[in-house]
Amino acid sequence: MEIPFVVNARKDTGLNNSKVGIWLFLASEVTLFGGLFSGYLFLRIYADYPWPERTLPILPGLLNTFILIGSSVTVVFAWAALKMRQWRKFQVYMSITLICALLFMVLKGFEYDAKFNHQAVRILDDGPVNDFAIIEGHTHYAKLDHGEIHHADKNDEGAFKQNRIAIKASELTFALTRPVHDSYVTDLIEQAGGEDKFKLAASYAVKDPESGDEVVILEEGAPLNTDNLDLAEEGFIGGKSHDAKIRTAFLKSDWDTVRESGNQDAGWKVVVTDEWKEIQRESAEKMKGHLIGAAGSVTYTIDPPLLFHFDPDAVVNHSDEQLRLRDDTTIRGVFDVEGSSLPMAVDGIDLRFTAQRAVEEGIDPAVMIAGSWILEDPDVKKVWDAHQEWLRAHIEYLDKKSKDKGREGEDAYVPTESERYRVNWDQMVSYQRAGYTDIYQKAKNGELKKPNWIEGFTGPNHNNVEFLKAFPEIVVPRDKIGFESSFTPKWNTYYAIYFTITGLHGLHVIGGMIVLGYYLFFGRKMYESNPEWLANRVEIGGLFWHFVDLVWIFLFPILYLM
Amino acid sequence: MSAEAHDHHEISWWKKYVFSTDHKTIGIQYGLTAGLFLLFGFFLMIVMRWSIAYPHEPLPDYLSWMFTDGWKARWLQDGKVTGETYNMFGAMHGTIMVFLGVVPLGFAAFGNYVTPLQIGAPDMAFPKLNMASYWVYLVGGLVMCMSFFMESGAAKSGWTNYSPLAGYADSQIVNQFLAGQTQWLIGLVCLITSSLLGAVNFITTIINLRAKGLTWMRLPFFVWAMLVTGFLLLLAFPPLEAAGIMQLMDRVAGSSFFLPTGLYSKADGVMDISGSGSPLLFQHLFWFLGHPEVYVLLLPAIACVAEIIPVHTRRPLWGYKPMVWGVIALGFLSFIVWAHHMYLTGMGPVISTFFQTTTVLISVPSVILLTSMLISLWGGSIRFTMPMLWAAAFLPMFGIGGLTGLPLAFNLADLHLHDTYYVIGHFHYVVAPGILFGLFAGVYHWYPKMTGRFMDNFLGHLHFWPSLICMNFLFFPMLTQGMAGFHRRWYNGGDAYIEKLGANDGVNVFGLTVLEKISLNEVMTVSAIALAIFQLPFLFNMFFSYFWGKKIKSDNPWDATTLEWATPTPPGHGNFTFEPSIYRGPYEYSRPDHDADFFPQWEEPKRDTTNMSEPNEVPAKEEPQA
Repeated sequence: MEIPFVVNARKDTGLNNSKVGIWLFLASEVTLFGGLFSGYLFLRIYADYPWPERTLPILPGLLNTFILIGSSVTVVFAWAALKMRQWRKFQVYMSITLICALLFMVLKGFEYDAKFNHQAVRILDDGPVNDFAIIEGHTHYAKLDHGEIHHADKNDEGAFKQNRIAIKASELTFALTRPVHDSYVTDLIEQAGGEDKFKLAASYAVKDPESGDEVVILEEGAPLNTDNLDLAEEGFIGGKSHDAKIRTAFLKSDWDTVRESGNQDAGWKVVVTDEWKEIQRESAEKMKGHLIGAAGSVTYTIDPPLLFHFDPDAVVNHSDEQLRLRDDTTIRGVFDVEGSSLPMAVDGIDLRFTAQRAVEEGIDPAVMIAGSWILEDPDVKKVWDAHQEWLRAHIEYLDKKSKDKGREGEDAYVPTESERYRVNWDQMVSYQRAGYTDIYQKAKNGELKKPNWIEGFTGPNHNNVEFLKAFPEIVVPRDKIGFESSFTPKWNTYYAIYFTITGLHGLHVIGGMIVLGYYLFFGRKMYESNPEWLANRVEIGGLFWHFVDLVWIFLFPILYLM
Repeated sequence: MSAEAHDHHEISWWKKYVFSTDHKTIGIQYGLTAGLFLLFGFFLMIVMRWSIAYPHEPLPDYLSWMFTDGWKARWLQDGKVTGETYNMFGAMHGTIMVFLGVVPLGFAAFGNYVTPLQIGAPDMAFPKLNMASYWVYLVGGLVMCMSFFMESGAAKSGWTNYSPLAGYADSQIVNQFLAGQTQWLIGLVCLITSSLLGAVNFITTIINLRAKGLTWMRLPFFVWAMLVTGFLLLLAFPPLEAAGIMQLMDRVAGSSFFLPTGLYSKADGVMDISGSGSPLLFQHLFWFLGHPEVYVLLLPAIACVAEIIPVHTRRPLWGYKPMVWGVIALGFLSFIVWAHHMYLTGMGPVISTFFQTTTVLISVPSVILLTSMLISLWGGSIRFTMPMLWAAAFLPMFGIGGLTGLPLAFNLADLHLHDTYYVIGHFHYVVAPGILFGLFAGVYHWYPKMTGRFMDNFLGHLHFWPSLICMNFLFFPMLTQGMAGFHRRWYNGGDAYIEKLGANDGVNVFGLTVLEKISLNEVMTVSAIALAIFQLPFLFNMFFSYFWGKKIKSDNPWDATTLEWATPTPPGHGNFTFEPSIYRGPYEYSRPDHDADFFPQWEEPKRDTTNMSEPNEVPAKEEPQA
């Protein structure tokens, strides 16, 4: 059996099967990305925070745009070479296409990596008004020691603390009603340095349903490990199942009694009667001796108390005496305020949200900013003051520009919200280079030196000694953190849509690479037997490749420029 | 008649029956899998209906014997269905019935088996892609259903999976990939991928693999319906995939696509999210798929009925061309009616009015389709064979389903009926006695082609009549309950409401009270259980007739005109033993100029056509005298 029109076109439609197929597939891709683009519009229009504009480094994105456009051209050359039956040329052009694709992904990788390691914190100030100030920076940052860089080790709990919540724990309670998460338990044991640092507070026993005797499952003082917890869990579930069976049987027989007494009603008509309530009371009395009623938790004591650190994502809530993990494990002790604070090398100060909140609350933004918690830090204050100097110069510059061009009133040039309320890392470096003095004058004379485009290719470089000097260190106590995240989808809806849509686009690039790579490396056999078929396939792959390129051409402006 | 003669090369058993690329095998695989999912979804529904009618009673043994003790201890309270379990079953009932049952059965199973045969193609355009879509579908379905056995249980946020509820549900699970709500999304992405591959394949096949002479207006209506369905799946599903991916990000990457600022839960306080997401965005993306999806469910059933009526009434389909244009218009319009599911979201009256208008518009092509089929019966010599009985029952049942939708199209009436049992009654009339009856008709109609034997008539009647009665006793009370104000998510069927309010339950805008309609719960539950019992003759019939059914005497046992009946029975690999050429339209029945009462599409004209005026008039003999 042969499927017709695999290689040659059908006369009346003028297309072969795969070309019909790819156009249909691309149509569906348009609606897929259309859904995401409309998501972008929706989120941006209805955003209740200042939408981050032009926060991504433009240069890598621009470079990627040209790389992708270039590869779209070479893929056409590769197809044309096949049509002319020039195998070498096909190999060359297809290889260039693939190298371009790889380059694109590598640049993308650098961009992603920079975001994943970049921390942001929204301050929670429980003063008269919540100030919503945002600082950005690095947590596992390198430190300057006598002019030399010391890199923080990710697992180093010493000088460079990570984003952790710490508690000096004396008691742990595991809920048996839900499976305990094993990796939490192994992490606890590892941090404590042995399972015998934990002692079961009271022995865990479950009644035997036959004899009614207590069967001890875990002895008092038993160490903490996953096997022991599994045993306790098994015991609990066994008891619970047994009780459920008994209760069900009693309830069934209660209903039988009601039905036998001639009452054929169902539901509320029966359960509101005194007769039913009486039956229930009797059953509860009769059941008592048969139920096991296994305890739903086990508690361990830690003596002497030990310090534990937890990933903030694992902690549901915390107070001064205890914290609760996501698997309902409760840890009691003394909350470690210092150990839970978040040290940062600040490379961005963003008070746009503060200004927006001030306007919403009917407060003067300048007043609200002046009272902001982050400006209590002298280093940050120094940067912010320098920025005000620069802003003054900038406003004067804009006024002059307006006057020169004859624009007045509504038409006059004014600084953007970003210029007004945000200090970017490259500005910080320029203020530092100017020694934080005479910024106004230096700005007027154009003497402020920002890092050049190579130095700032993918954003702030925390391995550069000079830059580090410009980034003030600040320690944010846990109770001042309103919301924190690295620049991942969690931070805000802009990064959410950015990662989702570019991630999906990246998957398309990888998919395209696999397909085109297959033609390049495994196409020779088909080239020899049926070169036209291979040319068709490359054409189909090329169409897809153009679509991938086209998506990027839309993505670049909306995510990088607008 | 033997198909074996055309199978030149030996294929291993695995390749022939399991990893097959043959559209017929894949169609049957789809049909059987979807059938099993339908039965599972039906079972979930009966458990729910039990808890609605008898909310204070433990599940009877015949509904609970398959659960383990541990599962019962976790998910039942003293043997009774809890609200959480009810939500889980409800969400999964809807999901399974729509995404894993009816769509695969109608579009993928019937479409796969019949479409290439009806257009004279040896197979689908991309057989391997066809196989891939089945397996991706199966994986997606299993991933979704597996979550019943997990700590979190299966998804519990309704089949519509609205955020923020669906974004927050199961968030206590540490490894989010093992949460039912996340698995639902992963399963959904698989299902969308599967139907996307299927849609590309179907449309390409119909465009490019039609037999010689099979022009567009000679296509059987079935093929037209499949073409439109293919386009709906192709273009409407991806936005839901986008929504699914975004919701997946909300769950596993902590983003806030659909989670608004300041989201609060009683257990965890203000949630640790960035906020600023839009729950409304999810609803838009969901219903942009959701409404075309209704027609993806419906069109294959209409397609089956439209094929069956001409064959069993020996009369051409009335209004073939209007039906074709109608189905195309239906396809277009179905893309711009989605927000009529969202009148109560506060979109504003302007948008509501727009969608109200388009919704009323779409009833025009729907009525064209239904009326044409109804008029097709007029003057036909109806043969009440099993397929015809189901097809005939489809018409009024679907009619009720469609007409009860009209009040929901108007946002004033919808204010009262939204989220009540009226809505449930409406769309179940469309889907269960409507679509499923159409598909049953299809099973009885094409079974002889698939197996070479008829399905048993007695068992067929034993299946049909009780099903018809039970369906109506099951779904009609829903309409009246809904008007009395029964909410669709009450897990105890209004029992708790009455227990609280008692005689204080006021008369609503329709002059009805919950109290006076609550006893209907028991009627519906009994009907549902009876309906389940009367599916047994059908299951038995499928199996029994395969071995012992009455053998067919020719490859065209119904004396039909379309191409699938020109193949050997069952059709071998590659389908046709000759290269089919098409000479005429699909429904040439009872032509006065033809001896037999049917004139198949592939049969060459017998008489010399050179001096005949096409298509079939008497040749012009003499010029009339001046």
